[in-house]
Amino acid sequence: MGSISEVAPVPSVDARSRAARFRVTRAGLATFAFLLPMLVIFGLFAWFPIIRAFVMSVQDTNLVSDPVYVGLQNFQRVLADPLLGIAVRNTAWFAFLALIFGFPVPIILAVLMSELRHRRGLFSALAYLPVVVPPVVSVLLWRFFFAASPTGVFNTILGWFGLGPLPWLQNAGTAIPSIVIEATWAAAGATVIIYLAALVGVRPELYDAAEVDGASLWQKIRYITLPQIRNVLFVTLILQLIATAQLFTEPLLFTGGGPANSTMTVLLLIYKYAFQNSLGGDYGMAAALSLMLAAFLAVFTAGYYWLTRRWGVDS
Amino acid sequence: MRSTTRRPASVLAALAVVAATLLAACNSAASPSPSTAASPAASAGSSAAASQGTAHEPVSIVVGALRPGVTQAAADALFEQIKEFQAKYPWITVQPEEYNWTAPTFTAALAAGTLPDVFTIPFTDGKGLIAEHQITDIDALVRALGYADKFNPSVLVNGQDSAGKIYAVPTAAYGMSLTYNRTLFKQAGLDPDKPPQTWDDVRAAAKTIAEKTGVAGYASMATENTGGWQLTTSTYANGGRMEKVADDGKVTATVNNDATKAVLQRLKAMRWDDKSMGSTFDYAWGTMNQAFAAGQVGMFTGGSDLYTWMIQNASLKPDDYGITVIPLDGSDSGVLGGGTLAAVNVVTTAEQRDAAVKWIDFYYIQKLLTQDGAVADAKALTANNQPVGVPALPIFDKATYDESQVWIKDYINVPTEQMTPFTSKIFDQPLINEPVAHTQELYAALDPVVQAVLTDPNADINALLDAANTQVQAVLDAPAP
Amino acid sequence: MGRRLVRLPWRRRPPTSASSPDRGIVSAADRSQSRVRWFMRFLNGSMLVFLLIVGLGPILWMLKSAVTPTLDTLRQPMALWPHGFDLSQFATAWNKVHIDRYLFNTVAIAFGSWLVQIVVATTAGFALGVLRPRYTRLLTGLVIATLFVPPIVLLVPLYLTVVDVPIIHWRMIDSYWAVWLPAGASAFNVIITKRFFDNLPREIFEAARVDGAGPFRLFWSVVLPMSRPILGVVSVFAVVATWKDYLWPLLVIRDPAIQPLSVRLPILAPTTDLGVFIAALTISTIIPIAIFLLFQRLFLSGTGLSGALKG
Repeated sequence: MGSISEVAPVPSVDARSRAARFRVTRAGLATFAFLLPMLVIFGLFAWFPIIRAFVMSVQDTNLVSDPVYVGLQNFQRVLADPLLGIAVRNTAWFAFLALIFGFPVPIILAVLMSELRHRRGLFSALAYLPVVVPPVVSVLLWRFFFAASPTGVFNTILGWFGLGPLPWLQNAGTAIPSIVIEATWAAAGATVIIYLAALVGVRPELYDAAEVDGASLWQKIRYITLPQIRNVLFVTLILQLIATAQLFTEPLLFTGGGPANSTMTVLLLIYKYAFQNSLGGDYGMAAALSLMLAAFLAVFTAGYYWLTRRWGVDS
Repeated sequence: MRSTTRRPASVLAALAVVAATLLAACNSAASPSPSTAASPAASAGSSAAASQGTAHEPVSIVVGALRPGVTQAAADALFEQIKEFQAKYPWITVQPEEYNWTAPTFTAALAAGTLPDVFTIPFTDGKGLIAEHQITDIDALVRALGYADKFNPSVLVNGQDSAGKIYAVPTAAYGMSLTYNRTLFKQAGLDPDKPPQTWDDVRAAAKTIAEKTGVAGYASMATENTGGWQLTTSTYANGGRMEKVADDGKVTATVNNDATKAVLQRLKAMRWDDKSMGSTFDYAWGTMNQAFAAGQVGMFTGGSDLYTWMIQNASLKPDDYGITVIPLDGSDSGVLGGGTLAAVNVVTTAEQRDAAVKWIDFYYIQKLLTQDGAVADAKALTANNQPVGVPALPIFDKATYDESQVWIKDYINVPTEQMTPFTSKIFDQPLINEPVAHTQELYAALDPVVQAVLTDPNADINALLDAANTQVQAVLDAPAP
Repeated sequence: MGRRLVRLPWRRRPPTSASSPDRGIVSAADRSQSRVRWFMRFLNGSMLVFLLIVGLGPILWMLKSAVTPTLDTLRQPMALWPHGFDLSQFATAWNKVHIDRYLFNTVAIAFGSWLVQIVVATTAGFALGVLRPRYTRLLTGLVIATLFVPPIVLLVPLYLTVVDVPIIHWRMIDSYWAVWLPAGASAFNVIITKRFFDNLPREIFEAARVDGAGPFRLFWSVVLPMSRPILGVVSVFAVVATWKDYLWPLLVIRDPAIQPLSVRLPILAPTTDLGVFIAALTISTIIPIAIFLLFQRLFLSGTGLSGALKG
C-alpha cells in the first residue's frame, strides 16, 4: 500500500517541460482548429456588428440606397427628437417603479421563505414558475387580464371587493404601473432563488451575538441579514436597472408605446427608428441612439460600482 | 515556461480572420441579393412550353395573396384560382405566400428583401415607394393589356410616377363607411334599417346603445397608424383637410384645422360626458374588426370591404353586419377613399415581371372587366363558401362596375339588403384621396392625439394638434433621401 | 478525498457547533415557544396560499380558459365552466391554427441553437481552458468584452449582417440559420465552460498526453465525457433561451412557415378566436414548464447569478 505518487509517478522536470513544448508545438494548428468556431461565430455575430454599429451611427443608411457619411448628424437628430425626452422619461419612470416595487418583493419573499422550514422546495418551485413561462405568453395572457371593461379578469376580481374597474393599460397614468406589475411577476422568482442561496450563507453566530445584545426581529433583519447579503443585493440592483433600461417586449406587446406615447421606452424608440416607417427605416439614427444608451449604461454602471465600493464589503 | 516554437500559421490565420472582419466592417451597406423564389409546391402545369405557339422559359413567381390566419376554405379558393391561371399560362408557376401589409412589418420585409414578387400596398405608399425606387416600372407591360386608359384617373394616379408611367396597378378601391351592429341596434330599440344620418344621430345612437346594452356604442381605432387614418376620415367628413398642396408642389400640414378640432371635441364628449365609447382605446385594424364581430362595439368608421375579413377571420354572424355611408357635414366634405395597389418587386427578372403582370391581370382585374373572369372568380369563391358581392368602389368607371355586379348576381351570397344604406348612397358622395405626402407618418403622428383624447379627460386638443402639426411639417420639410 | 469538479464560489465556513447549527433570524429558542411556532405555521400557510394564487394562479386560469368557450371567458372570466367544457379548442389550435407547425419550428430552432452553442462553448472552452495558447488572455478578454455591450447595440448591425453576410454574401434571413448561428456568440457559455475546464485536474491531461493522445483525442475522449455537468447547464439554458427569444426571430424570420411560437402568437392574436388562442398559449407553455419540472434542481440550486444574467 503505497502513496498515490508511487502508482502514477510525477513526471520529472525535464519530462514536464518536454510535455509543455510538445503541447504547444503539436497543438498550434489544433488549437487554432478548436478556436475556429468561436472566432468565426464571435467575429461575424459579435465583434464585427459592434464595430459596424459605430460605423452606422455616422452614416445615413436605409438599406436601399448606398450609405452616406453624415458625421454626427444622426446624433443631433436623435437629440432633437421630442420623442427622445418622452422615451427617456418613461424609461426612468419604469426603472423607478420597478425599483420601489419590484426590488423589495423578492427580498421579502426570500427572507420569509428562508425562515420557513417546511415546503421550501415547493415554495421555490412555485415562485420560479412564472419565470419559466415564455415572455410572449406571459404578456399576451396578462394583456387579457388587464382588459379594461368591467368583465376583464382583474376588474372582475376587483369587483369582488367592491372596487371599481381600473383602466389598466388604457390610461397613461396606469399603463406603466400595470406593466411593472407583470414584469415583477415574471422576474421575481429568479431573484428569490438567488437571495435564498445568499441567505443560507449568513453565519448564524451573528444572530446569536445580536440576540445576546437584545436585538429584536426587525433589528436582526436590518443589521445582520440585509448587510450580509449586501453584495448580492448590489449586483441584482444594477442588473435590474440595466434590464429595465432595455425594456422592449412588454411595452411593445402590451401597448405598442401608447396610450399617447406614455409607455414609449428608449428601446422602443430605437425599434421605431429602424423598423416602423413603412417607407424605409433610419438605421443610422437607430444605431446612434443605441450607442448613446450603451454609453449611458457604461457610465452609470461605472459610477454605481465606484459608489458601492465604499459601502460594499469584499468578502 | 517558454515555448520554443510557435506555429506562425495559427497566429497568422487568426489575424487574417480578425482583419477580414474589420475590412468587411468598413464595407458599404449590403445590397439585397435576388429573392430566391421558393420551390413551387403547387402542382404546376409542366414545362409544356411546346403547347404554346412561342417558346416560353419556365418562370416562377411568388405572390403575396394569403392573409395571415385566413381559413383553409379561403386558401383553397386561392389555390383553385392559381390552378386556373397555371392552366392558362403553363410556363408560369405561382407560389402563394402569406402576406399582409402593416406599416411596421412592411419596412422590415422591404429592407430584408423578403417581399414576394407580387405584393400589395395601400394607395398612400405608392408614390413614396416609386420615388425611392423600391417598386419596378411595369408601364409597358400594363399598357399592353389594353385597358390602361379605362382606369379611373384619380385611382390610377396613386400608382404612377410624375411622368405618368405605371408602377403599380390599382386592384381595389374602398370608401370609408360607418359600420354598425344591427343586432345591437335592435337590442337598444333602434331601427337597424334606419342608421344614423348625421353626426348628432351617431352620438345619440351611441349613447342609447351604451345605456341599453352596456357595450361601447361607438368606438374608434387608435393604434398602428389607424388612429390618424380614422381621424382623417372624420375630418374629411366634416369638411377639413390634413395637408394643403400649393401650386409649386410645396406641402403644408393643416392638421390643426377646425374640422379636426370639432371631431376631437365630439369624441371627447362621447367618451367622457356620454360615456358611450366603452373602456378599450387601443384598437387597431384587426382588433377593431375582432371586437365588432364579437359584439363588443356598436358602431365604428372603417372600410367598406370589411365583411370578407370578418367572416374569414373573426367568425362574424352575417345578421350582425350593417353598413351605411359616413355622415357628411359641411361644404367641402367628402368620403376618404383608399385602395390597394399591386406592385412588382424590384429584384425580378424581365420574365418574372411579365409573369407578374399577367398574374395581376388574371387575379385582380379580369373579374372586373370580363364576364368570364367575373364568373370564374365568383365560382371559385362560392365553391369554398367565401363571400361574393361585398361592396366595392369602382377602379374603372361606374358603368363597368355595375356591369360586373350584374355578371355575378347569381353568385352573390352576402346580405346585400343589409348593405343598401351604403351602396345606395356612396356613389353620390364625393370621394377624396388620402393626404398625398408622407401619409403613414402623418397618421403615426396623429395616433397619440386620438389616444390622448380618449384616455385623458384633460387632454388639450388645441395643444395636441399644434404639436402634431409641427411634427408633421418637419417630416414634410425634410429633404428627400 | 474526491475530485472537486466545480468550485463553489460562495461557500462559507460551516457553522460552528457552538451555536445552533441550523438557525436563521428566528432562533431555536424562539421556535420552541408555541406562540412563535403557531405564527410560523400561519406564515407557512399564508405563503403557500400567496404563492399558489400569485405564482400558479395565472397558469391555472390559462388552463381553465383553454377548455372554456370564448363567450364564457369574455363575459364571466372567473367562473368555472358555466356552460361546460370545450375541449375542441385544443384541436382547433393544433390543426386549424397550425400550432403544431410553430411548435415544431420552436423545437427545431432550439435544437440548432443548442448544437451551435455546445460546439462553440466546448471548443472555445477547451482551447482557452485546457490548451491555453499564448493569446488566451486576449481572446478571453475579447469574449468578456461582449458581455458589456447591451444587446440593442448589436441589433441593427447584426440584422444587416444576417441580411448579407460579408465576404460570402449569404442571405440568412428567413432561415433557421439566422437564429442558430448568432446564438453561438454567447460569452456567458464560453466563460462558464472555460472556467469549468480550468478546474479540471491537469494530471488527467498529462496522463493522457503521456499515453500519446493528441489534442483531438484529449478533447473527445477525455474532456468531453468529464464535462457533463457544465454541458447540462449550458443545454438547459440554451433551450430555455430559445423559447423566450422574441425580438430577434421577429426580425429575421419573416416566413410564417418557419416562425417560432414566440413570433407567431402575437400575430395570431387579432385573427384567432379567444378560446382557441388561449389553448394555443397553453400548448406553447407545456414544454418549458415540463423542462422546468424535470430539471428543477438545476434551476433552483442558485446557479444564482447566472440566472440573473438571463436575456
